[in-house]
Amino acid sequence: MTSAHNTDPHPTASTIMDPEPSVLHPTDKISTGVDCIMKHRYRRLPVIDDDGQFVGVFGVTCLLRLVMPKAVVMDKGLESAPYVRDSLSDFHRRLKEVEDEPISLCMHDEMVRLSPDTPLLETLLTLYKTRASLPVVDPQTGKLLGVVSYFDVGEHILAAEV
Amino acid sequence: MDHVTQVTDMVFGLDPQWYAGSLFVLAYLMIMSERINRAIVSMTAAGLMILGGVLTQEAALEGIDFNTIGLLTGMMIIVAITRQSGIFQYLAIWSAKRVKASPWGILVMLSLVTAVLSALLDNVTTVLLIAPVTLLITDSLKVKPYPYLFAEIFAANIGGTATLIGDPPNIMIGSAVGLSFNDFLFNLGPIVALLLPAMLIPVYLIWGRNLRASSDARQRVMDYNEADAITDKHLLWQSVLVLALVIAGFILAHDIDQEPATIAMFGAALLLLISSLPRSPGEQSQHLEHVFSRVEWITIFFFMGLFVIVYGVEKTGLLELMANRVLEMTGGDPALTTISIIWTSAIASALIDNIPFVATMIPMIQNMTGLPGGPEGLMPLWWALALGSCLGGNGSLVGASANLIVAGFAERAGHPLYFLRFMLIAFPLMLGSIAISTVYIYLRYL
Repeated sequence: MTSAHNTDPHPTASTIMDPEPSVLHPTDKISTGVDCIMKHRYRRLPVIDDDGQFVGVFGVTCLLRLVMPKAVVMDKGLESAPYVRDSLSDFHRRLKEVEDEPISLCMHDEMVRLSPDTPLLETLLTLYKTRASLPVVDPQTGKLLGVVSYFDVGEHILAAEV
Repeated sequence: MDHVTQVTDMVFGLDPQWYAGSLFVLAYLMIMSERINRAIVSMTAAGLMILGGVLTQEAALEGIDFNTIGLLTGMMIIVAITRQSGIFQYLAIWSAKRVKASPWGILVMLSLVTAVLSALLDNVTTVLLIAPVTLLITDSLKVKPYPYLFAEIFAANIGGTATLIGDPPNIMIGSAVGLSFNDFLFNLGPIVALLLPAMLIPVYLIWGRNLRASSDARQRVMDYNEADAITDKHLLWQSVLVLALVIAGFILAHDIDQEPATIAMFGAALLLLISSLPRSPGEQSQHLEHVFSRVEWITIFFFMGLFVIVYGVEKTGLLELMANRVLEMTGGDPALTTISIIWTSAIASALIDNIPFVATMIPMIQNMTGLPGGPEGLMPLWWALALGSCLGGNGSLVGASANLIVAGFAERAGHPLYFLRFMLIAFPLMLGSIAISTVYIYLRYL
């Protein structure tokens, strides 16, 4: 963070983004994604292909989807299943069944994204509505330029002159 | 009902039969193509039927069968409230545990539950409620869900055939002809009771005998506590009470001189009332919005548009011409006409949406006045139409809305029901059910 950021009269998403975020690749195994998320306590990570194009996100909701029965996480599935008595082993078993599959199997590919010139208020509003870190993507090339997280925003706001 | 009506206000002096007929065929093709939502197609075609001069607005409204619309809407509201109690999940799990979580036993029990619910509710609602629980159970059992979902599609369409409210074609036929809940139950119930076990025999031979689950997997299902499925006991009793009253109302409809739509809509209003009483006005509005959002408005508006289209075609006398042509082909022989209707309906319903097909067939059959016996002489034709159109839906994945719903669940669960693979087994089974039904109709009515 530099003082130049704080004095920028028209800050945008690119002003506050982390330009070197941790990333995953669609061909990475699910076990790799799990290790990365558990080790660093990420909520979700952007997924990019070999050309640096943004293709989706993989995060804790993906993990939850993998360990629960499909019947409860699918669209129009069961809204609740209080009668099921699954053990921790049952959840782990479901994860083991797919751990060698590529993360493309369960990443979210339709995701809100920011453009580098998205104004700061719009960036914060999108962050507020989606409640998760947001990828900043070049609208022309589709390449991932960075990630905006709550903490990036917080640091910049608190460092700004009043 | 009056038949050929003078249509004198056609735009550009168009021939009404050609205009209405072309509009009808075009709407059918658009509905079949599924490129545009079927409700949009039917509403647009209905509007063009009026704007083109075939019908006035008053005549178009006359053409809408509000008995069918009211019955459908009322039952959708009742089910939307009842499902919140968890009763349907309870039934599915309870039935699975009654057979000690045996894979084949569960398939039989879930088919039975599906058939019974489908007879008392409607097919689409039934599979929406049962298919996800089925996927949950097969996940615990570690068995492939395909045979279960296949059997449930058949059970839903077979079970729905048994009653007035079980399947939209029956609702339409019952309303148009004035047939009661009991008429359907007494005339179609016996054949449905025969067809359900008959369907399970090939399912057993193809899949059932090879279904295996480990004792651990079966124990997982046995560990389900079905009592926990009931999330709202008050609502459960309220719903069961109203549903029982509504079914009783259908059974006694003739004696109390009430139409099914009145019974269903009053039941819906009663359940809304008693389920809203403990809530504040704000909560009541939320409750009402939630329940109304569960009503399938696409289906309701599709029906309304369709009724107008078919009424327009009927008014031009086209359906009477077609009915006479059918009678010419069958020589006016009641048996041959009945058998033609059941087989044509079955094959058509396997390939296209059975709702527009039945909407067209109803006025056609009403116009078959050349058959001996008057209105009573037409009764075998109505049963043939009901059996053909309901059971025909089993012939392919696109044969009935319930099939598509199950296919959607299967795909989302990672076990897609492929169109051809499904049809290779389903179509012959469907033809078998129609052959049995033909014998039944011949022996009982002809």
